[in-house]
Amino acid sequence: MRTTRWVERAALPAGFLATLATLLVVFYYPVGTVLSESVREAGRLTLDPLFAVLTDPFYTGVAHHLFVDPLGVPAGVLDWIAAGFPPVALGRFGFTAYQAALSTVASVLLGLPGAYILARYEFRGRRTLRSLTIVPFVLPSIMVAVGFLAMFGRTGLLNDLLGVVGLGPVELTFTLQLIVLAHAFYNAPLVTRLVATAWESVDRRQVETARAMGASRLGAFRDVVLPALLPALLTASLLTFVFTFMSFPIVLALGGLKLATVEVWIYARVQALDLSEAATLATIETVLSLALTYLYLRYEARQRSASGAGQHLPRKPLTIGWDTLRSPVRLAITGYGIIVAVVFIGPLLSLLIESVTTPDGTFTTAYYEFLLAQQASTAAGTTRPLPAIINSLVYGAGTLLLAVPMGVVVAVVATRGGRGSRLAEALLTAPLAVSGIVVGLGLLQTFVFGTVLFGYRITIAGPVAIVFAHAAAAYPFVTRNVAPALGGLDPRFRDAARSLGASRLRALIEIELPLVATAVLAGAAFAFAISIGEFDSTVLLAEGVDSYTMPVALERYVGNRSLGPNLGPATAMGTVLLFITSLSFVAIDRLGGRWEP
Amino acid sequence: MRTRTAVVPVSSVTLRDISVAFDGVPALADVSLSVEEGEFFTLVGPSGCGKTTTLRTIAGFTSPDTGAVSIGGEDVVGLPPEDRNVGIVFQNYALFPHMNVRENVAYGLRYREPPGEVSTEQRVAELLDIVDMAGMGDRDPEELSGGQQQRIALARALAPGPDVLLLDEPLSALDARLRERLRVVIRDLQQDLGITTIYVTHDQAEALAISDRVAVIADGCVEQVGPPEAIYREPATRFVAEFVGDNNLLEGAVVSADPPRVGLDPASDGTFGQTIPVDGVSGVGREVTVSIRPESVSIADGDAGQSVDAAGSITLQATVSTAEFMGDIYRVHCEWQGRELLAKTDADEPPSGTVVLSFDREDVTLLEEP
Repeated sequence: MRTTRWVERAALPAGFLATLATLLVVFYYPVGTVLSESVREAGRLTLDPLFAVLTDPFYTGVAHHLFVDPLGVPAGVLDWIAAGFPPVALGRFGFTAYQAALSTVASVLLGLPGAYILARYEFRGRRTLRSLTIVPFVLPSIMVAVGFLAMFGRTGLLNDLLGVVGLGPVELTFTLQLIVLAHAFYNAPLVTRLVATAWESVDRRQVETARAMGASRLGAFRDVVLPALLPALLTASLLTFVFTFMSFPIVLALGGLKLATVEVWIYARVQALDLSEAATLATIETVLSLALTYLYLRYEARQRSASGAGQHLPRKPLTIGWDTLRSPVRLAITGYGIIVAVVFIGPLLSLLIESVTTPDGTFTTAYYEFLLAQQASTAAGTTRPLPAIINSLVYGAGTLLLAVPMGVVVAVVATRGGRGSRLAEALLTAPLAVSGIVVGLGLLQTFVFGTVLFGYRITIAGPVAIVFAHAAAAYPFVTRNVAPALGGLDPRFRDAARSLGASRLRALIEIELPLVATAVLAGAAFAFAISIGEFDSTVLLAEGVDSYTMPVALERYVGNRSLGPNLGPATAMGTVLLFITSLSFVAIDRLGGRWEP
Repeated sequence: MRTRTAVVPVSSVTLRDISVAFDGVPALADVSLSVEEGEFFTLVGPSGCGKTTTLRTIAGFTSPDTGAVSIGGEDVVGLPPEDRNVGIVFQNYALFPHMNVRENVAYGLRYREPPGEVSTEQRVAELLDIVDMAGMGDRDPEELSGGQQQRIALARALAPGPDVLLLDEPLSALDARLRERLRVVIRDLQQDLGITTIYVTHDQAEALAISDRVAVIADGCVEQVGPPEAIYREPATRFVAEFVGDNNLLEGAVVSADPPRVGLDPASDGTFGQTIPVDGVSGVGREVTVSIRPESVSIADGDAGQSVDAAGSITLQATVSTAEFMGDIYRVHCEWQGRELLAKTDADEPPSGTVVLSFDREDVTLLEEP
């Protein structure tokens, strides 16, 4: 009895320590190795590699003057102004920031009307539409990229349709516009979701008070609603910028090396086996994204208390019979709806259509037959579909085994308050700020190549490293689902259980976790979906081994031209992946999953 | 319902010099209380006064910064809640929603042996019978009314045979009529079981109605401890006099110790609105506060002037400002010397205009604090 008590009391702290240790091993140690690599040369500390990158115009563009000749910068700026702002070289970092800024603007433009409609109008399917805004988070980005190629590519649906009416073809592949549009596909729903939530939390009584005190409709909007929306908009914009700054598969597939961002370039360096330059680039990128994430967190923490319970603003009906056609706002909403349909449904639909049509528009099963032929092939180095599917599912299951306990433990600590909860918060956001490429590179350089820890040489297999990377990326989703549910639980359930004789651990297992079971399951579904779709670290860790996953196989098929210059095999594989991720989404939605970053 | 169950251990609870602070803000300051075996003891005070913190300290959810807590003579500071044999009932009942009534009541029996060598099933049936909920074992908590949920919460807390029963505002979520009925149920149950019970409420009327003894708590300090009658009739402090029941508080100063006289309503020129006899005053010039319960003040029409007669009956001349009809009585707000005095009358018609308020010297209570 006494020992059980002792074990039960030690279990939670031990679980938290185990989680910390796991993260230390699978995340912080590898990432730290990458970072320290960039300040070491032949075993001694040096800033030379960092300087080599920062002073290279190829990477930093016009900003390299800052590091080469800082004193000359003011004069240079004046010259530039005097010359009438001629275009400047951006370098890889500048271009990365530039495309992220464009993507952020595009996401806000595409997402903001959606927030307005979801918050202010009532219509059939509003709730469904709202829950659909989490879909992008579970869609593998390489699959979305293929979808965009299937729609806008040279042999894509758009050109097929243009060909029917005797126009085109238009060439959008490898353009910045297509990358920005694909980024908007991912991040506009985030803008919509965050701003709509803020809009819904505006208390109608505040607006009514303002109106009663003489404010016009517009005045009340400016004085009451807008101050509530701006923080959410800024939060969403910052997050979008961070995400698109680190975006990898979209840029890789839609831009290639011509439009390479830092992330893609790091990947290219790794493939060229120039690991030290890759590490240096990764360090600079991580410092930048950490700074941005810090900014985001500081800002988010300030606004969190702003939301209050109250009556939300009443929703207007979206359709008002035939009068709908005479309402300019409603006509504009219809136009917006068409754009949304094209941007969001188009690529996925194109993926399906292109997987069964030839470039000249006739029905074909050739691509699926190609997948079967690949499966049957005995040639070495063939990317076979079935192992990819099995690997994905196995890694997904492994990720669940690691990420769910970790996520739950961190959620318990985070909701308990005190010093532990701040630590837990910090732990949660680190994976957000470090790109998958950096994690993959770190794991590659440490455990996969073999590392010496405490005098023991440790080498782990690629598949295990992949599961580690997936777990590090996925567990925050478990926590972000479980923590609010635990926090919202009446603490007196736990108190009642404890006064009846249950230890803290028993109360957690017997009372609290069963009551938040749906949140745990939703978090698990999220974690699974993240694992299934993870590309950034997997593509590095699966290099050269048979541990490729569906997204990695998909990327390999994109480059496969064995069936002519078309996307056929990739779209077929993408359709399989879409089917499996759709199942994950249905599971998440059924379980009421949430992702409010 | 009144079947006495198997031996329930009774236990006394002692708090000595308990201080608790949350983030540096003191919640309890040197609280000392002693609850006798089998006693029904109530902590009453306004919200935020520290009464719930006191209860949570006894239960082990809050650990005191200083001081000692003992249950049944055993020091329990440092013991987690699960190792203290207390039962607790919360305002919102906190019935586990994923368990039915039977599982809820049986929960504590997973960890503690029920008293008297009975099986879990027998014990649960016994408790459901005690709280008049026999046959409801298969229901889910959400199917029950608030009052029924409260009974189940009570049964759950009592099932393992706790040394002490702690009740944290158990009736606050119920409507007034049900509240009055259930408090009788709780009191009867406590009497039958003889279990030491500590009850927390902000409702002073409830505290007076139900308790053997009451502790009035304000700002983390114990103001007064005593039987309900003593609390009501002889409030020790101004806070108690104002918090418990309606009261008239009058400031004054001692004008003579023998005979004991207090001048009421002192003016800046040193005169008094009225000088009255108050037993037990001393220290001429000392500022004091006295209280007179409204029900001790009788009200009559007329213009008899102010006086103190030989028997110590005091009359004051006042004017009626408003009279509230309460059903059985009128609460009459009167103005005397620019201040408000409250009287109660069961007259058929509300008094109005100029009236005479009178009370006896025995009804005047001297409060310790000015």
